[in-house]
Amino acid sequence: MLYLELFLQGLLQGSIYALVAVGLTLVYGLLRILHVAHAGLYTLGGYFAVLVFNSTGSLMLSGIVAMFGVGILGVIIYRLCYEAILDQPPYVPLIASIGLFIAMEELYRILFGSYGVSYTNPPLQQMLPLGGLYLREGEWVTILVSIILIGGLAWLSSRTRLGLAWRATVTDPQMAESFGIDPIRVRYLNFFIGSALAGTAGMIVGILNNLVEPTMGSVPSYKALAIIVLGGLGSVRGTLVAALALGVVESFGTIYLGNVLNRDAIAFVFLILVLMVRPQGMFRGV
Amino acid sequence: MGYEISLLTFMGISIIGSLSLNLITGFCGQVSLGHVAFVGIGAYTASILTKADTTFFVALLAGMLLAGTFGVMVGLASLRVRHDFLAITTMGVNFVFLGVVREQEWLGGELGISSIPDPGFGKLGFLALVLGCVILVALLSLQIRRSWMGYVFEAVSGDEDTARMLGLDVSRYKLIAFALGTALAGLSGGLYAHHVRFIFPDSFAFVESITLLAMVVIGGNGSILGVIVASALLSVLPQWFQFIGDYKLLLYGSLLFVVMRFSPGGLAGLAQNLFPKSKKSFVPKENQ
Amino acid sequence: MKLKNILSLIPALFMFFGIAWAETVKVGFNVPLTGFAAADGESALNGAKLAVNQANANGGINGKQIELVIYDDQASPKEAVPIANRLIEKDGVKVAVSGSYSGSTRAAAGVFQAAGIPYISAYAIHPGITRAGKYVFRTSFMGEVQGRAGALLIGQTMQLKRVVVITLKNDFGKSLAAGFKAEAANFGIDIINEYEYSIRDRQFGPIVAKVRADKPDAIYASGYFFTAGPLVNQLRSGGVTVPVIGQEGYDSEQFIKIAGAASEGVIITTSLDRDSNSPETRSFITEYEKFTGNKVDMVAASGHTALNVVITALRKAGTSNPEAIRNSIAQTQLTAATGHISFNGLGEVRKNVQVQIVRNGDWHYHSEIRDQKLLAPPES
Repeated sequence: MLYLELFLQGLLQGSIYALVAVGLTLVYGLLRILHVAHAGLYTLGGYFAVLVFNSTGSLMLSGIVAMFGVGILGVIIYRLCYEAILDQPPYVPLIASIGLFIAMEELYRILFGSYGVSYTNPPLQQMLPLGGLYLREGEWVTILVSIILIGGLAWLSSRTRLGLAWRATVTDPQMAESFGIDPIRVRYLNFFIGSALAGTAGMIVGILNNLVEPTMGSVPSYKALAIIVLGGLGSVRGTLVAALALGVVESFGTIYLGNVLNRDAIAFVFLILVLMVRPQGMFRGV
Repeated sequence: MGYEISLLTFMGISIIGSLSLNLITGFCGQVSLGHVAFVGIGAYTASILTKADTTFFVALLAGMLLAGTFGVMVGLASLRVRHDFLAITTMGVNFVFLGVVREQEWLGGELGISSIPDPGFGKLGFLALVLGCVILVALLSLQIRRSWMGYVFEAVSGDEDTARMLGLDVSRYKLIAFALGTALAGLSGGLYAHHVRFIFPDSFAFVESITLLAMVVIGGNGSILGVIVASALLSVLPQWFQFIGDYKLLLYGSLLFVVMRFSPGGLAGLAQNLFPKSKKSFVPKENQ
Repeated sequence: MKLKNILSLIPALFMFFGIAWAETVKVGFNVPLTGFAAADGESALNGAKLAVNQANANGGINGKQIELVIYDDQASPKEAVPIANRLIEKDGVKVAVSGSYSGSTRAAAGVFQAAGIPYISAYAIHPGITRAGKYVFRTSFMGEVQGRAGALLIGQTMQLKRVVVITLKNDFGKSLAAGFKAEAANFGIDIINEYEYSIRDRQFGPIVAKVRADKPDAIYASGYFFTAGPLVNQLRSGGVTVPVIGQEGYDSEQFIKIAGAASEGVIITTSLDRDSNSPETRSFITEYEKFTGNKVDMVAASGHTALNVVITALRKAGTSNPEAIRNSIAQTQLTAATGHISFNGLGEVRKNVQVQIVRNGDWHYHSEIRDQKLLAPPES
């Protein structure tokens, strides 16, 4: 039973990682940019949600603002920041992104305070044992939401014209353009979806911890990078598997390897081992 | 004068650190996001040795050797993975280094190593030593750039596959770049440890690797002068900006962003644009 | 004397008083104001500022106003060393306080010690800090001392035996755990398991699941409000109902805000007794809330206490001789917001441990630990 619970906890953590990492891999697949500032959008989702909820009490409204507000901001960041430097060597957008991320964290601290913001009446905190497994309401919801969102993304990408246009652009931008697909619109969509997912993750984590802090994006910022590389840069399926696998490895590692290596180091040892065996990541990416 | 001396000493140590990364990332084009791990290896090695009564210079050298050795191992990784994959792998190296150091009590664990012995040169003497090292490293970089090695580095940085087709032993030179760059990072670490005389895992956190990379990139990837200027400025910026107080880091992040967004060639690129007729090539060919 | 001569003295007299008026007593203060440690920095600074304001309102140091010379060290040793040099040389401080974390404090301590300027660590707990030399003092508990107190609290006061230890992986958590483990057997405690987490962790699902399987009598968990809050919340939601005992890292309103209803009944070892009748403590609590609009926390109380030690020493020893100031600090017998303060030979504080408990959403008195033998900090 304990092992099952640890496994489930791992999946839970993994699904949060997945929500963040998928957006990152979408951006990488299309534009070859390591979009570190993505983690800043994750934090923003947390802030939007807690601020809206604390003033309106509506979880629905918080969710909408978190998803769409952050999605739109993601597109704006693409326009203002990345569009002009796409043809530069890869470390240029990387450092620009890192600079942007640092600035965002500081902005959050200056605007919303260094102590962080909590929910005055935190939702979904009650315990909901199902089948002998002890998870809180918020945790069950997390798993559900992740399945819906990522499943929805998979459906979108494989069954709709929009998804087709997206996949075509990723595979061969010139060919796609010659078929009349507007690459700019695809990029906007890409950033919108990826950022919206990150914003949702931020909201979820804010609820689960009852704490939204300016620096809560620090860990996802580099962990998500590790995950998308593990999964095979650009492969959504790979990212998903890598995220879940990492969550489970961390879960067991925290308990049984805790005094050998800390959590972050476990993740990266895992990464390095995989990469030495399969340098392109677990799945073939783009 | 103690204040100015300590600032200049930190500046010098930062310059050595960023010049060492410049060899790997700037000259040879291998992006390393975990460079400070090697600074750390040098720091810890030198400190443990001097606390065990080893002579300062021997300890420093030992730190460089050990850092360089680990550097070659990471360099081997660079033969398997490239570009973004390599960047993330090197980031991983940083975290694994931290993870190991945090858990090992003989390395100080979370408490780090305190009361590192004073090498005995006095503040001014130590500064002279650091500046001497800066000059040596800068000259070494210049010499490498002008040499055949520099040529191969530039070829690998530009287009690795073509370089291989031309018959260049790409693997060997990548390893050399890593060995040299990480050994010099170890030097920077040993000097740092004996200046502050206290080190702990947080001194070598991932954010410090980013800082080093930022110094290289803002200076102008590959440009020795640019990197020196950028490191000098960025390392003492927080002290100068004390009066800005609350907005210091915000400014730092925005600066990184603005420079990359509007002048990706860094300071060197900026200089190139302002003085196009200058004979000196500030920027390696690929950024023009 | 001729009138002309007397009149000519008047400008000299003005100058003399003017200088005395304008002259301030400078106390150095390095504190993290930006970066990840900004929250604690803010609290420490506010506590320190309050102490200075209160002293200035009472005539300062023999008529001279106290000026806090503040620099942001971002909790980084690299920044703290130049700041220490700057305080000593450019600002000419004869005494300084650290409102910052262990790394920066330890680095700065070396500089102050070498320059013979007394330096007090308000809340940084690294053991190496006071070992930098005789000019360095600390007004907060060493981790291992507080850990021992925790063992007494759980084993003796609460009579609980089977304990799970959850340790924050940094110098604070590790030294707390070390102190706890050293004394655990003496109080009949059996440590069934120990789990570690890092300072950035906020989700403790795996640990909660394992603790539930362990079925302990009590949990001894180290952390700060931003880790302990989520941890306690998740423990309770996870069905773990046994007492949770923490330390002064929890001691903040923020902990109660984050953990919500789960914070009820949490017990901590700390230095601040919010139910205290001591006028120093009461006045600190009321005036701090008026000054900042926030409720008090441990870090603010530490900053306040450290400054009060400095102010008292300055009043006794004068403001110009660092050696005299240092000796005065060493002989401190002061009742501050955090209780009666004195120092041992190493510069470590001797004071009682307050035990607080959360009742009805607020911190309240639970008990006190006065065993000075148990609490004796190391002498070297």
